[in-house]
Amino acid sequence: MDPLAAIKETFFQECEEQLAELESGLLAMEGGETDSETINAVFRAVHSIKGGAGAFSLEALIRFAHVFETALDEMRSGRLAPTSDVLKIMLRAADVLADLVRAARDGEVADETHSQALADELRGLSPDAASDETESEEDWGDFDFKPLAAAAPATTGQWRVSFRPRADLYAKANETALLLRELGRLGPIDVELDASALPSLADIDPEAAYLAWTVILTADVPEGAVREVFEFVDGDCDLEITAVGEADSSDAPAPEAAPEFDIAALLAKVQDAVAEPAPTPAIVSQPTDEPPADAPARAQVSGPSATAAAPSAGATIRVDLERVDRLIDLVGELVINQAMLSQRVMEAGLARASAVAVGLDELEQLTREIQDSVMAIRAQPVKSVFQRMPRLAREVAAMTGKQVRLVTEGEGTEVDKTVIERLADPLTHMIRNAIDHGLESTEAREAAGKPAEGLVRLSAAHRSGRIVIEVADDGGGINRPRVKAIAIERGLIAADAALSDEETDNLIFLPGFSTASEVSDISGRGVGMDVVRRSIQALGGRISITSRPGKGSTFTMSLPLTLAVLDGMVVSVAGQTLVAPLTAIIETLQPREADVHGIGGGVARVIAVRDSYVPLIDVGAALGYRTDPINPSTGVALLIEGEGGGRAALLVDAIQGQRQVVIKSLEANYRQVPGVAAATILGDGRVALILDIDTIVAVSRGADSLRSETRMAAAG
Amino acid sequence: MTQPIHHNQARELISFRVGVQEFCVDIMAVREIRGWTVATALPRSPGFVRGVINLRGAVLPIVDLAARLGFDNAEPTARHVIIVAQIGAQTVGLLVDAVSDILTVTDDVIQPTPEVASDTAKTFVRGLLAVDGRMISLIGLERLLPTLELDAA
Repeated sequence: MDPLAAIKETFFQECEEQLAELESGLLAMEGGETDSETINAVFRAVHSIKGGAGAFSLEALIRFAHVFETALDEMRSGRLAPTSDVLKIMLRAADVLADLVRAARDGEVADETHSQALADELRGLSPDAASDETESEEDWGDFDFKPLAAAAPATTGQWRVSFRPRADLYAKANETALLLRELGRLGPIDVELDASALPSLADIDPEAAYLAWTVILTADVPEGAVREVFEFVDGDCDLEITAVGEADSSDAPAPEAAPEFDIAALLAKVQDAVAEPAPTPAIVSQPTDEPPADAPARAQVSGPSATAAAPSAGATIRVDLERVDRLIDLVGELVINQAMLSQRVMEAGLARASAVAVGLDELEQLTREIQDSVMAIRAQPVKSVFQRMPRLAREVAAMTGKQVRLVTEGEGTEVDKTVIERLADPLTHMIRNAIDHGLESTEAREAAGKPAEGLVRLSAAHRSGRIVIEVADDGGGINRPRVKAIAIERGLIAADAALSDEETDNLIFLPGFSTASEVSDISGRGVGMDVVRRSIQALGGRISITSRPGKGSTFTMSLPLTLAVLDGMVVSVAGQTLVAPLTAIIETLQPREADVHGIGGGVARVIAVRDSYVPLIDVGAALGYRTDPINPSTGVALLIEGEGGGRAALLVDAIQGQRQVVIKSLEANYRQVPGVAAATILGDGRVALILDIDTIVAVSRGADSLRSETRMAAAG
Repeated sequence: MTQPIHHNQARELISFRVGVQEFCVDIMAVREIRGWTVATALPRSPGFVRGVINLRGAVLPIVDLAARLGFDNAEPTARHVIIVAQIGAQTVGLLVDAVSDILTVTDDVIQPTPEVASDTAKTFVRGLLAVDGRMISLIGLERLLPTLELDAA
């Protein structure tokens, strides 16, 4: 990746952090925390985005951020009270800002009318603010984008800027028109073009620079502000900035005008910057990737944003995920090795109190601690996904005309990064559902004697080694008669089916329950709760619903803390040790001879589980470990539910116990094996295979054998 | 990497015994040599895939070289040896009877495989060496693992 693109990526990453900071700040203010620190944090976030956007000439973003910043400045100086109405506008402005950032990142054109409308609203907030054109420059001093080299002399009101680009400036894809426009933003300008160096057409070198400009800028700004405009063409142009009426300052050339790029000067800059938040521009202007300069600078950049995200967390570093995973692998191996060593020592008949055994105990404790700490590296607070939800709630509320308050709890709850990433979609859908379907209309709520504002609560907590996430609304609850009617209409249940309340509620998870006829703008994207359930199951999680008519519904998701380990049931089959994922298992049963029936002429068998018959699959035979199925009464059956919701009973020889196992790939050194999802390493150091339950069930269903390649691809 | 290279550069080969014959592979492909441990059988794999073992946290498939080369495969004992080899991006264990020697040879010593009526020879043997009156076959590793499409088990 070329350096500029990398820097730009860093900028957008930091924008995301700033946007999160902005939103949480505004929400805190809405919650009554209107102290100057919070307001300053919000202001800083917008200001940093604007500063960075300036560096990349992201016009739309700069314009909007500027208006936003001006309004925030009004608030900061106490001229604008942070009332609920004002904050609502600001929150929407934060949404628009986020849109603009994303549009800029993806190289799209943002919806101008929308941002324009909000910009007008923001302007309306501060009618007595002098003018948008002038920036309150004296406030620029204390953070990120302070122009370091500028000495900031007394302001004079008029500047004379003579600017002669060199060919390099154009070669680096800078655009003089943009620079002049930027200058114009500071105040009225009077531009004069000096084309005297322009040769005749025949002599012209298309890649050379011939033009120069002299600009008279009338603005009450310090020299630094003027110089900042040209910050990114440092060294690629001859620049002279003089206060009109002052002596020509050309005898004291500014460092920016240094003809060649100078690493030493840059290093000095970076060293200066260590004392205060680093200016992103300093890095932007760095053309080489020289490590000594690079390292401190980058560490510095992540500094302020990280502190902003987690004020108590202190310093953070960005680490390549692969390195962390490698470390996790190695520590997993260490744990197994340590267990094997202990076992050997015990076998050697050493006394428990012997120095070796005591030392081993200590080693064991240490190993556990290392494992926990290493796992914690991948863990991140769910905050990163939770904080996308308030905006979603606002949008859905606006679309449905409902009043909604979203309360989030337990944002600090940590879970593996991969889990977090894959939580966003199901959560989005559930919040949408909760507002659109869960909450009643304002009138209905008032009629029911409830507060007009609906409440949606999103919470996360750790519970017995898993993370539990709840989405609760205080709406009308599941309309059971209607759900049942829909299910019957769609042919999902028999018309005379007698269902408990719980079973009725769970109908909404059935594939095919949500269809086009009830798709609304918000909830309907052709995605039903069955998809939500499937994505939760794919994460090794479970989802359930509790509902009370008139009081509301609660969706509860329980997820593993990491995808690197799996809760499994260790079973024996034909002398092999296998692991079945615990999430798929509903119950285990001891089959009685009388419950098992042959069906058809072949080996197919079914087992009666209470009143229903489910297919009985001999795992040993299905995997080819043995040719003849065993007698069911000598084994144990695992009643499982596959991805599609179908049930089956897997017959195994014996159950060894439950265990958390580390998931290892088979494909890395071999290839995919049908019927096997992955492998793991047990405490005795041996490899055990993890069953791919869906493939095994699918095979039992149809004529297609385990070797069918399409099935393999689907299972992949 | 085990293809005969047509210039006179000395290279090192590890020779080992499978049944009564001797074979060798380029030492650069060999990561380590370890004793036999019981492998976990893989369902529906070709007969020459013994299963998988744990190599410091990685799952390592074991190819029984005797079976792969068409010999009778005897049940492995503690005296059998696994040669851990790198084949492309994958790491694979080769089950052999014993490792015998490290040979330093130049390419001109390696004779081309004579035309014989053996598919195994054509598929795996890249050349022959005569060392102290013994014949050693140089094996190419690329085709040892079953290809990605599933063979009939």
